[in-house]
Amino acid sequence: MTSSSRTSISAFPRGHEFPPARFTLTAAAVSAYLRATGDPGDYRGNVPPLAAVALGLDALQEHISLPQGSLHTGQEVEHAATLRAGDELVLTGRIAQRSERQGFVISVIEFEIAAGRSAAIRARTTIMAPAVVA
Amino acid sequence: MSASVEPVVRTLTQAQLQAYADASGDHNPIHVDEEFARGTPFGGTIAHGMLVLALIGETMHEAFGERWLATGKLKVRFKAPTRPGDTVTASAEPAKQNDGVAEYAVQCANQHGEVLIEGRATVAAA
Repeated sequence: MTSSSRTSISAFPRGHEFPPARFTLTAAAVSAYLRATGDPGDYRGNVPPLAAVALGLDALQEHISLPQGSLHTGQEVEHAATLRAGDELVLTGRIAQRSERQGFVISVIEFEIAAGRSAAIRARTTIMAPAVVA
Repeated sequence: MSASVEPVVRTLTQAQLQAYADASGDHNPIHVDEEFARGTPFGGTIAHGMLVLALIGETMHEAFGERWLATGKLKVRFKAPTRPGDTVTASAEPAKQNDGVAEYAVQCANQHGEVLIEGRATVAAA
């Protein structure tokens, strides 16, 4: 991946659809996530939904760059099914909303993470980023 | 009546921010580069919002187990930055229950009582 393949989030128009991103949350990745967050819970081979969202956002960063000064200001997550460690996941996402205010662009990335045919997680991430200067 | 939920209390460290960056792939320097972060309006590193939010996820999973994983919903706003050394309390207070869904007011607050994250969580009633 090169930085030239990524575009500032503030440059994406409303309605832009990102190419599907495929990723797998292995048992080792889930363990690393739980150690990092300090969560001592026993998930019995299931994936914490916020781990899937965090890794999904990382997968989206193949296309999106966040300029200095960007802030993650809101998050919505809906769990539709339980994910298992090792599931092959497909993320599809789009820019659902975009507005500008005082030199900042507020973008809402709406995405789904599916294992198989049906969505297991639906999420909306709000990012406030400096507007792109032409 | 909705079940009460035990809060999670945890002090975040810079080492934890680094570990979360490695686990999540989010190596934004505002979280992991102390020299860079000192030159920003925050004056130092701040925790990933998703790391702090994970404490609410932990709280709800501890209370509801797989029911949370399969039916939970979360909607929050990040209100203030969390800094290394902050002791964060993640809590969920019963708000209402109807149509088979229990709703909770969730928040994370630091040791000064400052609200860092605030929102709502729902889970299918037992």
